[in-house]
Amino acid sequence: MKKVINIPLGSQHISLLEPVRFQFKTHNEKIVEVGADVGFVHRGIERACVTQFEWKKLPYVVARVCGLCAITHSLSFTLAVEKMLEFESTRRIDYLRMLMVELDRIHSHMLCLSHTAENAGFEAMFMEVMAAREPVMDLQEAISGNRVQFDYIAIGGVHRDISPETAKEVVATLDALKPKIERLLEEFSKNWSLSLKYRGVGMLTYEEACIYNTLGPLARAAGLRTDVRLESSDLPYEEVGFEVVLEKGGDIHARNMVRLYEILNSIEMCKNIVQNLPEGEHLLKIKGKPKGEAIVRLEAPRGELMYLVRGSGKNFLDRVRIKTPTFSGIPAMVEIFKGSEYADAPAILASFDPCMSCTAK
Amino acid sequence: MFRSLANAWSNMFKPPHTVKYPFVGDVQVPSDYRGLILYDVEHCIFCDRCEKACPPKAIVFYQHDDGHKEYRYNPWLCIYCGECVRACPKADEALTHSSEKPNPASKAENVNDEWFVWQTVARESRERYAEKKKAEKAEKRAARKGEPAGPKGD
Repeated sequence: MKKVINIPLGSQHISLLEPVRFQFKTHNEKIVEVGADVGFVHRGIERACVTQFEWKKLPYVVARVCGLCAITHSLSFTLAVEKMLEFESTRRIDYLRMLMVELDRIHSHMLCLSHTAENAGFEAMFMEVMAAREPVMDLQEAISGNRVQFDYIAIGGVHRDISPETAKEVVATLDALKPKIERLLEEFSKNWSLSLKYRGVGMLTYEEACIYNTLGPLARAAGLRTDVRLESSDLPYEEVGFEVVLEKGGDIHARNMVRLYEILNSIEMCKNIVQNLPEGEHLLKIKGKPKGEAIVRLEAPRGELMYLVRGSGKNFLDRVRIKTPTFSGIPAMVEIFKGSEYADAPAILASFDPCMSCTAK
Repeated sequence: MFRSLANAWSNMFKPPHTVKYPFVGDVQVPSDYRGLILYDVEHCIFCDRCEKACPPKAIVFYQHDDGHKEYRYNPWLCIYCGECVRACPKADEALTHSSEKPNPASKAENVNDEWFVWQTVARESRERYAEKKKAEKAEKRAARKGEPAGPKGD
């Protein structure tokens, strides 16, 4: 006899970092139906952007949408405003901005890997990855002056220039990080007990990835070639050695591999940026008030982040719309859960790298 | 298996990655760490630009009735972005971005409650002062108008 059991995961659960609720309907242990509720941390940031704060203060406000991809949020907004003001940045500004975005990607991917390991029951790996992540956070602190909320991106450039000592430190730290990532790569692909939890679990086929408009590492793990760094020309990524990472598996293992190879690629990019940093100003003056409309897309660690900004030449903007990667990925997540075992749900969820404070804003 | 055993054995003699925070004193911060905003009343010209530039409104000027202004700063509301220092016409003299760490506030202290009251009080003080100034001006204007009008009327 088949009996349907309702099991909720969240809004508070031991395997969750942030509040999200999935309502599973299961036949025995197999998940057959999934409902998702994501609005637990709604803070009304989009509304505050047009009523509470003037446009010059908004890079600080939108940076607080998310702690992990703060730099991508403030950069997207700044790029949108700069488009409206027809500002042309120098190559040094672009390079410094890319450096911070890529450092952000490295530490965000490492956080995700550590949580995937933890939710698969491998706590020692969690601690190891977290310990290896710490120097990257320190680098960002050395560059921007703060550990989590960098407030580094300014309208018209970046607030601080990078000193030669810090540049040397970046190269040294990333050189030290590379063998650690290579060791993790070996561990994640060869460890037998991890493969039980990862291989063939949480499958997303190429066709499904296309149908559900999947983004970011989730899509690239299914073989879907989508990356904003490839498609957009806001930042000169092709100059610093960007390569798309593609896997074919579509399971948790493939997602881990995509993240690990992307970290390696980001390390190379950061080193290229620091070693070939063009001369020039790091902060230019910008005049006028934003008028018109601009759309900016950037590749956040979790996928495509889109900003729509509309203004009419006043101190307060008319509209700021933020479309975050996790929100766009929810349909695919719901699909992946269907047909898998309930016991695998935490590991699958961690492999999505969901960011709920981004999603609910 | 032997490798993992060897790893486990060697790990027992390794120092931990973490530090025992409250007991080791201050944690090392980089030299250009964005810390507390320092203020020097001697150099301040009271232009209020820092107040206008501050995103979380952590700087407020209270307007005294005798005309002078009083600077107040809430380090627990401050996000240490440095926007005030960049806006300051006498940066590094009147306002400085130091690398000093702020004191942590515990939840029980409710440090911001008083501040929000203070914000309202400061706003009211300026409104009151502005009205007073306006009234004074109107009085002066009336007096000026009244003087030449008086003899003519006679």
